[in-house]
Amino acid sequence: MQNVVTYLMIFFTALIMQGQTDSAVNAAAEPTKYQQGMRKAFQLWQENKSWEAANVFERIAAAEPDNWLPPYYVAQINVINSFTEKDGTKLKAQLDKAQNFINDATAISKDNPDLLVLQAQLYTAWIVFDGQQYGMTYSPKASELYGKALGLAPNNPRIILAKAEWDMGGAKYFGQSIEPYCKDIQRAIELFATFKPAGEFYPTYGEERAKQIQAESCK
Amino acid sequence: MKISVITFLLAILPSLLLAQTTISGTVMDNKGMPVFGANVYLEGAYDGSTTEANGNFSFETTETGTQVLIISYVSFEPFKFVEDVTKMKNLKITLREDVNSLETVTISAGSFSAGDNSRISVLKPLDIVTTASALGDFVGALQTLPGTTTVAEDGRLFVRGGDAGETQIFIDGIRVFTPYSPTTNNVPTRGRYSPFLFDGITFSTGGYSAEYGQALSSVLLLNTIDESTQEKTDIAIMSVGAGLGHTEKWEKNSLSVNASYINLAPYIALLPDRNDWQKPFETASGEAVFRQKIGDGLLKVYGAFDTSDFELTQDDINQPDGTRFMLNNQNFYTNASYSEMLNKGWTIFGGGSYTYGKTKVGIDDANIKDVENSAHFKLKLKKRFSNRFKMNFGAEQFVTDFNENYDDPNVDANLGFNNNISAAFTEADIIFSRKLALKLGVRGEYSELFSEFTISPRISFAYKTGKSSQLSLAYGDFFQQPESEVLKFTNSLEAQHTQHYIMNYQYSANNRIFRAEIYRKQYTNLVTYNDEFPDVNTTFLNNGDGYAQGLDLFWRDNNSIKNVDYWVSYSYLDTERKYRNYPIKAMPNFANTHNLSVVAKYWINDWKSQIGFSYQYGSGRTYTDLNEPGFLQKKTKGYNSLSLNWAYLISQQKILYASINNVFAFKNVNGYQYANTADANGNFARRELLPAADQFFFVGLFWTISDDGKDNQLDNL
Repeated sequence: MQNVVTYLMIFFTALIMQGQTDSAVNAAAEPTKYQQGMRKAFQLWQENKSWEAANVFERIAAAEPDNWLPPYYVAQINVINSFTEKDGTKLKAQLDKAQNFINDATAISKDNPDLLVLQAQLYTAWIVFDGQQYGMTYSPKASELYGKALGLAPNNPRIILAKAEWDMGGAKYFGQSIEPYCKDIQRAIELFATFKPAGEFYPTYGEERAKQIQAESCK
Repeated sequence: MKISVITFLLAILPSLLLAQTTISGTVMDNKGMPVFGANVYLEGAYDGSTTEANGNFSFETTETGTQVLIISYVSFEPFKFVEDVTKMKNLKITLREDVNSLETVTISAGSFSAGDNSRISVLKPLDIVTTASALGDFVGALQTLPGTTTVAEDGRLFVRGGDAGETQIFIDGIRVFTPYSPTTNNVPTRGRYSPFLFDGITFSTGGYSAEYGQALSSVLLLNTIDESTQEKTDIAIMSVGAGLGHTEKWEKNSLSVNASYINLAPYIALLPDRNDWQKPFETASGEAVFRQKIGDGLLKVYGAFDTSDFELTQDDINQPDGTRFMLNNQNFYTNASYSEMLNKGWTIFGGGSYTYGKTKVGIDDANIKDVENSAHFKLKLKKRFSNRFKMNFGAEQFVTDFNENYDDPNVDANLGFNNNISAAFTEADIIFSRKLALKLGVRGEYSELFSEFTISPRISFAYKTGKSSQLSLAYGDFFQQPESEVLKFTNSLEAQHTQHYIMNYQYSANNRIFRAEIYRKQYTNLVTYNDEFPDVNTTFLNNGDGYAQGLDLFWRDNNSIKNVDYWVSYSYLDTERKYRNYPIKAMPNFANTHNLSVVAKYWINDWKSQIGFSYQYGSGRTYTDLNEPGFLQKKTKGYNSLSLNWAYLISQQKILYASINNVFAFKNVNGYQYANTADANGNFARRELLPAADQFFFVGLFWTISDDGKDNQLDNL
């Protein structure tokens, strides 16, 4: 059973932050402390200093108790780094930390599809670590979160992509048609072309990943 | 490039206008090693830094006056320091390890955990249902753990030389009074409750918490799932019956219902067994769980009803025509609990259960009708002072009303009793460091029936001996009322008593677990009587005693062989007791010296199949040979059984499952029945007590229908 779930999950790759700093330098006005801090964090992240970036996001989170983005990014860095973590002790510590920050962010912004997807990714990290132990409990929870996120944001290309990628893993394993998920990914790519984040520093990742999956799986 | 120039200018600019203060220091862990990568910052300000490899940090701030400096790092407790910024220089900060970490010692003496919640799981949730010999029965899976004795014809849990009544089962902390389906004497029973309703199982073979009482040997704690994951319908079509389940979910609540019907008539028609069935085993059961979130609280209501019916004639050496046995049982169980996190680290838990059991048994000319009404209420408060110190307080009440009518051509008698027990307990959990933890508890119980007050101290302690190993010790006093077979005749008795002494070593790393445990259990106050079968004229006393001591070993490895997960359990048991009508101290017939279980699971990816294997060996059990002097002086030959199962994933939502118990059809003898009278040569004839069938075959198709097309019933198998 372990392997079924691992198999399902292996298709899921941690989504890497990209393109955040593109929009950083267009502010004509003097940047606020918040903007400075966020830019610095993204810059560190781009320089592959993800833990330092997480520290900066954590500081901002402490100073901006009403903004869900800083805790979201603290959690995201911890989750992404967990996918490659083999030491169970470290993994638990990181995912516990991520969970705390997701809880903080959720308290600020309820029913936020990006937070739901991140929560599903956190469960996936547990499943990848030990499918036999965590697969049974977390796999349906993750499925449900993807479904709920899509219900909240049916036209958000990143949510469409995340759910399609998750579903595609299962379909491939059982030799079922992945055609419907390829259609979803095509739709996501089309929507990415016109996608505008809701505000500065909002998540924008996913377009590259969608194109990559399309090239690899949907010829 | 542009960014950094601007950032630089912006950073410089205010400093020309405002005074800057430098904050600096070093961060160490509790062993004096520098902490690299810790986040150091002033709360609410943006100013901060990350520690370097030597633990040093330094940053400038324009904040003035008294501020809060925070140092946070994964797996350490956050450190807060309140001081005037001008004094935050060359600080020496030592972080305290976070005792919530996986590396923290856990008290493991006596108990096995299964499920996601425990830090070190001996069994995983799926194991309960994919162990070949278990046939989907959670009790069957636990019988592959050390400390249990294979009593194949019974099916209940026999722990460390204790009889089945010495183990109590709790659902969500609330007692289950009648956990097993009734059966006849050569067909093993099963747990009444379906395993997929539970997501956490703790099986304690001794030394358990002061929260649990009325169990001399062992407790089994089952926790129902807090939150159902999704709406779905489960259909099961099996060679022995059918099942249907459905889960419906709303915003704040959810309801799961489950119904099953088992009828062994077609199976027995096809593969007759050693019993002569007039009415083969038939049972219908229904279960429901309702969960409701109320603010920060969670209400769970669980209900189960089942009815079983069968009639058969069994061989009996004293009766050439055999013994007639019929049974009709109705059982209803409901359990409701509410828990809520209050302010300031308080948690409240309240719950209750009610059991109604009605059994009609017919043995030859005698008809026995039992009605049991039992209830349990519990209120518990938990206070978390810190991660390192927690306290529990609670009180509970057990109520049992038992009535029996015995009717045969010569006697018509009504028997019964009311048994009320009040109890209170308190327990403290103290974690001194990641290496050292202590649990101290005490429980007081008052029995209205006996007008007796008992007090039971419990203590356990764990010490980490290395990165992956630990040593635990436990001691406890345990009291239990005699069973209803005794209480229906007398109430001038006292509670039976045991003391447990346990030492446990555990090693756990890289998906491998090794456990070794030695124990000594001292029995006193066991109930004795002077007749072969007790009745109203029997004299009952509390003068029995005994002991059980032994060694339990467990090894599980999920890492060494690809796609193979296996575990091995071995138990050595030395036990003797004088109780019931034993003339001398002897090893009871539900105990034996050696028990071995080997369970393995092999996942074949190309076949989308899991093949399971399970082997059980139990050395011979005692019996009394009437043709030789002595009592329980002989032993049967050893018990052997090898079982196989195969689960095939047809698609994401359809699973085909097949199993064979005792593949090689080993002929196991559970004991002997001797004739009441000797023959002409002065010899007592005897008959082997054999299982109803040597083998059992099972085939089932499990199909789940859900919106997302993902879930399946792997967890139901």
